[in-house]
Amino acid sequence: MDKILICDSITKRFGGLIAVSRVSVEVSRGELLGLIGPNGSGKTTLINLISGVLEPDEGRVLFEGRDITKLKPHARVALGISRIFQGMRVYPYLPVYYNIELSARSVFKDARLARSKTIWALTTTKLLAESAELPVNLTPYKLKMVELARALVTNPKLVLLDEPFAGLSPEEVGEVIKIVRKLNESGIAFIIVEHKLRYLMKLVERVVVLNEGRKIFDGSPSEAMNSEEVSRVYLGVM
Amino acid sequence: MVEVSKLVFAKPSKVSKVRKILPFLTVVSIYLTLPAIGLRGFWIDVLTRVNIFLLITLSLDLYSGTTFYLNLGVPFTVGVSAYTLALLNRYLGVPVEYSILPSAITSTIFSFTIFIPSLRVRGAYFSILSLLLPIILAGLVTSQPFSLYLGGEGGISYFPLFFSYARALPAGERVFFLQASHFYLSAAVAIVAYIICYKIAYSDFGFMMRSIGQDELLAEATGINTFRVKLIGFIASSFLSALAGALYAAMRPPITADIFVPANTLVPPLTAVILGGMGTIVGPAIANYLTLIIYEILWGVLGSWRIILYMCLLIVLVLLRPQGLIYYLYLKMKQVFSVRIFKHLGGV
Repeated sequence: MDKILICDSITKRFGGLIAVSRVSVEVSRGELLGLIGPNGSGKTTLINLISGVLEPDEGRVLFEGRDITKLKPHARVALGISRIFQGMRVYPYLPVYYNIELSARSVFKDARLARSKTIWALTTTKLLAESAELPVNLTPYKLKMVELARALVTNPKLVLLDEPFAGLSPEEVGEVIKIVRKLNESGIAFIIVEHKLRYLMKLVERVVVLNEGRKIFDGSPSEAMNSEEVSRVYLGVM
Repeated sequence: MVEVSKLVFAKPSKVSKVRKILPFLTVVSIYLTLPAIGLRGFWIDVLTRVNIFLLITLSLDLYSGTTFYLNLGVPFTVGVSAYTLALLNRYLGVPVEYSILPSAITSTIFSFTIFIPSLRVRGAYFSILSLLLPIILAGLVTSQPFSLYLGGEGGISYFPLFFSYARALPAGERVFFLQASHFYLSAAVAIVAYIICYKIAYSDFGFMMRSIGQDELLAEATGINTFRVKLIGFIASSFLSALAGALYAAMRPPITADIFVPANTLVPPLTAVILGGMGTIVGPAIANYLTLIIYEILWGVLGSWRIILYMCLLIVLVLLRPQGLIYYLYLKMKQVFSVRIFKHLGGV
């Protein structure tokens, strides 16, 4: 399959701590990849390295064959990499509409196109009724939808979701999964960091497991569930 | 979906446009007739100064009020522009009429060059650097050998703006001509600057500046080129301050090192921005006129104690109402008035 993202042996250190150590991950176009591991294993750091929030100390990040290691986050968004952050991260004093439209406007120079894309993203995430609301008036589920809409509005080819199910009820998780599947069918690849494994394992096609900054497993969800190494480090089972 | 599409893509009707700008046009029309209906002497000078200060207030509000990068270097930009104008006149003989724009542009380039490294760093570093520079310049202007060329404590004297035209008039009309022409020029510049700032602050670009103020990492990670937005915002803001400096110098010779003192050129606009409601443009503009006119009235009552009152007002505002007061009152008033006018017209 055509590789859209290649992380080539990337390392990130924070002082003496090695957060990510020589990790190599490849993502195919339209793939659903799960990224799991215990707390502090380097999942969010890896997401930050892919989105450009952090720069690796060693290794390269390639997107559609192009070396983007030194590229700023906003430039990566323009290339087609979007993300949502761990926890709810929105502009608290801007209405929902502007929370989404600003990202569209930064990628599309044509204002009308940016507005059309914003309305499409609002429709996809069922946020049209709340488009004039401030985020403070929204439920956690709707806030998650705002983040998802903002990630989608820039025409991404790869979306990085950092704990998208956190704080949501089972029904709401089901809604998020439906949207992710629908978008995935249109060719968008996803890397999903999640602790709620019972949902994640049903959703993704492949799982990468990190522990103490190192990649310890790369395979199908069923193989991961049967792996002794994964059970030992992730679930604490000896 | 249809309704939101209509909301986003529909162009406002001419009637709603007129209704929106009618209060603004009314206030501006009344304001511009003041000299014609007898405003003279001290107060016309005060209003000219307040018009010029509006540029500084708008400059602060447009950049610091939206991005929350507190630019305390406004006196630097204002002062460099004022001294550039004075020096062009003294050493090159350029009439002040022709040196306003070149001085403003020179000062903008200076500010941009000096502050560009600090735009990459958030928080105190930017504010401290911006605060220190005007103090250093004030020291340089009054210290030898620079004071020999920059006028020292006494400043640089020259003829004010439009003096060459005023000279041709009878002696009794000269002062009023100068005062009225300065008032109208400063008011025209202030009105144009206000409209441009309002348009920018409520455009997509303005909302990008606000997104930086609310969460810069989020803005950058979701596609906004934050450095570019800050840079353009800073240049636009600096140009406004620089224009204020050049206008002030052109209308109020002699120019002295006092212009670099934050208490003179930073505290009043900063008070207006905080009192008005940061980033709202309308609030700080109203607060600019209210506070500076009250400030002048207080001169007769409190003398130099008024600056202490100003500082206390700033402290109280920051502690009790950091989101500002005037813009909130403005919205309330607008709501009440629009309902009343509507009722009067039989709309409701």
